[in-house]
Amino acid sequence: MARIEDIPQPTRDAVLAVPCPSYDTAPFVSGPPLAERRIAIVSSAALIRRGDQPFAFGSAECRFIPASTLNADILISHVSINFDRTGFLRDVNVVYPIDRLRELAADGVIGGIADTHYTIMGSTDPAGMTEAADQIAAQMRRENIHSVILAPV
Amino acid sequence: MAHMLEERGFATAVIAAVRAQAEKTRPPRALFTAAQLGRPLGEPGDPVFQRATLLAALALLERTDGPVILEDYPGEPPGLADNPTWTPPFPPAGDAALDGFAAELARVLPVWEDAKTRFGRTSVGLSFQAAADWPAFAARVIAGELPTVPGHGTTALAARFLCDDIKALYGEVAQAHGPAPSSNQVDAWFWYGTIAGKILLALRDAAMASDNNALKTVGGRFFVPVPWLPK
Repeated sequence: MARIEDIPQPTRDAVLAVPCPSYDTAPFVSGPPLAERRIAIVSSAALIRRGDQPFAFGSAECRFIPASTLNADILISHVSINFDRTGFLRDVNVVYPIDRLRELAADGVIGGIADTHYTIMGSTDPAGMTEAADQIAAQMRRENIHSVILAPV
Repeated sequence: MAHMLEERGFATAVIAAVRAQAEKTRPPRALFTAAQLGRPLGEPGDPVFQRATLLAALALLERTDGPVILEDYPGEPPGLADNPTWTPPFPPAGDAALDGFAAELARVLPVWEDAKTRFGRTSVGLSFQAAADWPAFAARVIAGELPTVPGHGTTALAARFLCDDIKALYGEVAQAHGPAPSSNQVDAWFWYGTIAGKILLALRDAAMASDNNALKTVGGRFFVPVPWLPK
């Protein structure tokens, strides 16, 4: 469980102490029914493709994961060692639910999946990620994607 | 990130692993799931639960009663309970010396091959070193040297990702056969029952004693999770 009381110390205090941004605006975008939407995943697990450099500590970059990337070539390079990784060793979908998304597309529940998915280092202050957000937005516009699932780790 | 993407015209739904953080950041749509940290979609090899969680998050995309929606996922993810039918792949290493790491690896590697076959993949690959080279590299760091490897230009990074790869390989070995263990069972076996676990503790000690500040910092924070440090 990840209820706060179930997270062992000192991770619990560290999690609660993470600075969280606040915003003056409250954007809220609506769209067509799910069956007409193609969905992209943004993972904050600092995923990399096998052979690529791991994310650096504090990195504000965004990396693209082509949907064609084999699960066998996806590694996790998040800086934290204080979350379970043994589940990911068996099944990438516990962090990056790409197979489940494909199944939902095949079943017609969603309109499809994006050609590109995205990953960032979740421990980095999002205030420095404006450029990453711009890059994600630009690519999603190119692919005519309008909806996103953000998955943590 | 959700806020920034909505500002740019995209509808977002966040799967939130920590409710307190979602309450602070107030993303437009968030689904809090009580799954274990590191498994926000649920348990490995459980597509039914993963799909249900993902569907619940996707359903938020059709909601229009914003600007802030924070839902609790109603399902109870499988918990952290140990699996009594799981047994470690090898008996505990006991008081075996650190120089037994290479011999231990030689026993472990065939089981790792089984794990790769079973799961069709491996999460080992961050260190840019072959497993056969790990004992010698670790021994040099423990001896106070500052080796590097191609792709990781500092000992701090090379050792950090070596630790990640060692943990990943043993984690896969622990799951190569039979029923799935809990994460705690895998960790307890690794940290208390293998020479590899002792190697990581020794690497941490060496890093903490090093005059190399990067190695000292990285070793202190990123080699051994605090719950598994000696009491």
